[in-house]
Amino acid sequence: MRYLTSHITRYIYEGPVSQCLSEARLIPRTMPGQRVLQSRITVDPEPAVMDQRKDYFGNDVTSFAIFRSHDRFTTTATGMVEVDAPGEELQAMSSELAWEEAREMVHAHADDECLMAYEYVFDSPYVSTSRELGNYAGSTFAAGRPYAEAAAELSHRIYKEFTYLPKSTTIDMPLLEIYRNRAGVCQDFAHIMIGVLRSLGLPARYVSGYLRSGADYQGAEASHAWVAVYVPGSGWLAFDPTNDMIPRDGHVTLAWGRDYGDVTPVKGIALGGGEQTVQVEVRVIPVEEPATQKQSQTQIQSES
Amino acid sequence: MKEKVTTSLKARTGVWRYVPQEGHWDEALTPGGFPRRHWRDLLVALGRMGPEQLNRRWRAGQQLIQTNGITYNVYGDPQGKERPWNLDLIPLVIDGREWEHIEQSIIQRATLLNAMVADVYGPQSLIHKRQLPAEMLYANPHFLRPCCGITPPSGVHLHTYAADLARSPSGDWWVIADRTQAPSGIGYALENRLVSAQTLPSVFNQCRVRQLGPFFETARTALMALAPNRRANPRVVLLTPGPHNETYFEHSFLARQWGFPLVEGADLTVRDNRVFLKTLAGLEPVDLVLRRMDDSFCDPLELRGDSLIGIPGFVQAARMGNVAVANALGAGLAETALQMAFLPGLSRQLLGEELRMPSVATWWCGDEQPRRYVLEHLDELVIKPTFPRFGQNAEFPAQMSAAARKELAARIEAHPEQFLAQEQVDLSTAPVRAEQVIAARHVVLRVFAVWDGSSYTVLPGGLTRVSQQDQSLVVSMQLGGGSKDTWVLNAQREEVAYQRNADPLVTPRSSAELPSRMADNLFWLGRYAERVESSVRLVRVLLPGLSGEADFGRGASIDTVVHLLGGLGYLPAEFSEGSLATQRWSLQRLLGSMVFDPTRTSGIGWNLKHIRRVTWPLKERLSQDTWRVLQQLETDFSSTPPTETEQRFVAAMRLLDRAIVTLSAFAGLLTENTTRGYGWRFLEIGRRLERSLQMTELLRVGIVQAPFDVDPYLQMLLEIADSSITYRTRYFTAMRTEFVLELLLADETNPRSIAFQLANILAHAEDLPRTGEAAGDATELTVASKLLAAIREADMEDLATRDALGNISALEDILKLIKTGLYDISDALSARYFSHLTPSRLTSF
Repeated sequence: MRYLTSHITRYIYEGPVSQCLSEARLIPRTMPGQRVLQSRITVDPEPAVMDQRKDYFGNDVTSFAIFRSHDRFTTTATGMVEVDAPGEELQAMSSELAWEEAREMVHAHADDECLMAYEYVFDSPYVSTSRELGNYAGSTFAAGRPYAEAAAELSHRIYKEFTYLPKSTTIDMPLLEIYRNRAGVCQDFAHIMIGVLRSLGLPARYVSGYLRSGADYQGAEASHAWVAVYVPGSGWLAFDPTNDMIPRDGHVTLAWGRDYGDVTPVKGIALGGGEQTVQVEVRVIPVEEPATQKQSQTQIQSES
Repeated sequence: MKEKVTTSLKARTGVWRYVPQEGHWDEALTPGGFPRRHWRDLLVALGRMGPEQLNRRWRAGQQLIQTNGITYNVYGDPQGKERPWNLDLIPLVIDGREWEHIEQSIIQRATLLNAMVADVYGPQSLIHKRQLPAEMLYANPHFLRPCCGITPPSGVHLHTYAADLARSPSGDWWVIADRTQAPSGIGYALENRLVSAQTLPSVFNQCRVRQLGPFFETARTALMALAPNRRANPRVVLLTPGPHNETYFEHSFLARQWGFPLVEGADLTVRDNRVFLKTLAGLEPVDLVLRRMDDSFCDPLELRGDSLIGIPGFVQAARMGNVAVANALGAGLAETALQMAFLPGLSRQLLGEELRMPSVATWWCGDEQPRRYVLEHLDELVIKPTFPRFGQNAEFPAQMSAAARKELAARIEAHPEQFLAQEQVDLSTAPVRAEQVIAARHVVLRVFAVWDGSSYTVLPGGLTRVSQQDQSLVVSMQLGGGSKDTWVLNAQREEVAYQRNADPLVTPRSSAELPSRMADNLFWLGRYAERVESSVRLVRVLLPGLSGEADFGRGASIDTVVHLLGGLGYLPAEFSEGSLATQRWSLQRLLGSMVFDPTRTSGIGWNLKHIRRVTWPLKERLSQDTWRVLQQLETDFSSTPPTETEQRFVAAMRLLDRAIVTLSAFAGLLTENTTRGYGWRFLEIGRRLERSLQMTELLRVGIVQAPFDVDPYLQMLLEIADSSITYRTRYFTAMRTEFVLELLLADETNPRSIAFQLANILAHAEDLPRTGEAAGDATELTVASKLLAAIREADMEDLATRDALGNISALEDILKLIKTGLYDISDALSARYFSHLTPSRLTSF
């Protein structure tokens, strides 16, 4: 599936901002099953400096600095990206590797892949592991159960047992509090799932990206987030607990890291400004095949 | 013969009844109680000295510490005060040959840790080859992912390295801690040396102690060579978290010593991926940042987003190779206990050598064999979290109940990689002065290495820290432990004695490079110093009046004092009630509190505290003498006053008289010993501005608001302004308002008059830079000339004329005009030169 993507982030400040330094992770990743055909980022006001680099996790980062006084600032990322219908992921889904065995392989660094995945076992700034989170896994992680199957059920349970409630949380809210409230947005759903898995010693990472827009849904959409788990021998397997689905060719991957903090789409430091209002618009328009009715309904649920 | 000598030594040093602790190595005495060879000279000298003389020398040392302002900030001190540096006068003596072993070991360890850090932030082959556990990176909160791939100049991640050493009962040295973040202590070690060499001069010379000076030159030269592109005359700054940091004294000391500006995050800015210093003349590029701020705080954009003290964009500037950072960003990861378990292997792998000095024995439970050992030997070990989080402490299974021990073992089994075990550290003991005796206390030696251009050079000495109590093995400056100088003997060659850099104001760079924040502080130093002087002068004139001893002419009375203090805002509104005796008593109390009570708002002590606040960041900019004068003032005014009224009065008067002299010394130092740079101009403008404000207030209260009989007020004003004699010799007459105004308002030759201040402000302001960020219109100049013109045009007789109701409105108007104008000047200067310092909210999104 081929998409035209557009992601506009607008900050409107109460007072003037004298300078602003910012980092954006808005260029989709090039990876198996996903190709970036075009990509462009513009910033208004015109930045004095703009640099491009790869971060620690291999994500593309655009950094820029504005030194003239301004009271609003807009980044616009547009591009064309091609996403394949999944093939390998489904194979991984049928992996029979028990979750305890997967954990053992990762902890023992059975191969270099396992060693690299080991990084995603540890606590990160937004995801602290705990016994309480680990307990949530319960019978889902019954002894000897295949890891992929258990992870799919965990994703499904989070979808069912947590309420999707826009604006119900802030990024600074402790994960346990969100967990106890059983409500949040897509970031929280992803963090909860990661937290449960890591509390069991399993590697899980945070993925930021977009969902395709539906034909009858063109309103303000936001960036999305989901989870990938590492199944030794099969690779990283993605789950979208907010939508109770395995990402297919309707998910465009922007970046991944340990949690939201590693992949924040736009972040920065502004001097001055006072209160700020943020507006985000995301469009992901299929350019070859028209969207089906069914997919667009999924989209309405998944705004986050 | 030899035996006889040592016996008599034993007898002589025995005066001190020094008894080492059982079961520990003693640095000074052999197990048989005889002085070790390298301690003999010192012990003999101490024996001759006896407790009295040693105490005397110790007090002299304390005096030096006080006047040099050596302090150590203690977090959580309710008084928020710096604590004077705690130095025990008896040095730790180390034999030259033994030192060679320490030196070689530290060079090796610095080289090894630098290689380890370079690998972690580079190819990471150590974890891929399983030579270092992946936890060292992935679970280490000090592993800074954004710093991966940044290669510092010459591959030097660790410019400075420090290690804490302890000596086991068998006499072997062990490394008990590695310091790679921003090692502190070098400055304290040097100050300790200055104090001990001055208080024990003859034995110091006799011992041929190795000098510390050359090390500091090496460090500086090698540091400069690390600047990107080996720029010829690189600009280096020392970045400090600020005056509240525990080792701020050392930051300012080293900045001064090396001649680098001491800056805080707000003094720097990143433009075009380059770091700049904000100065009065504009932005000046910075090539190298010597960092005493923890790396994770250095950049709120890429590192800790909640850091308010960092520089946004700093990491990117380092990544682009436009600025060198020492120690490199991310270097703080090599302070773990975890690495200790792996260093022997790493040493063989990376250096092809055996590790020369062992670390304290360490077992990481993440590996199976060590784990088994730990679980079998729990009782003998200390258990620690692999990466301690805040509030997590070491656990001592030996002191636990069986149940607790079992529970701990279960925790280890559940998450073995989260635990490591270390041997209990035994510390050696050394003699410490304790009033009448010399006691044995535990010591830890911190040694330092710096990059010297091709390898590492070790400071021939170090910072020895002492436990506070007899048996305590806890050695912590935060907990109030003491420190010692460290004497390494057998100086082989002629070594250059260390010289204090006494004249920091003479630097090769132009004074326009004064960081804007410094200018701001100097301006306020001027204002507060003048406030102190005007309070001193006011109280000194009013206080005797209350005792009825001074002669102000016929009308001096309680009423006059009440009116003056009330008008100046020192008295509560309801004060005039009560009998004369009550009033006199209250006034004495009030004036007494202005002298003796540092918590009284606007009192002398209160303003001195503000002086301290603004001079702290200026420490490396003020000359030693200036610093000493300010220190003297503070010491004087923090003395405890006598309780008896009469004595209290006498003490207050003596203090005030002394203060006038000390303040004159301060003014004199500024005039005679300070280069006429921008810093001096800002200080002068601050002083002049404050003095004119004070005089404006005095004239308003003393003349405009004075009751019908104005004479006593005029006399008092002249007295406060130190202008009585001038008045008498010039006018040969009784008190006349117009003459007093002539002298205190309009006379441009009288250094106390308002016109004199304005003329000076004008002259200084004209010389301030007007380029870069300071360009623009010059409100301060127009206002100052307007005020000066108004005074020059005014007729003093007109100003002194009262109408039938006794109003003196012409004077009232001009004083109002002056006061508003002075505030405008202050605002204009702040807006022009300090504006970027107004607190800006750092918004993270």
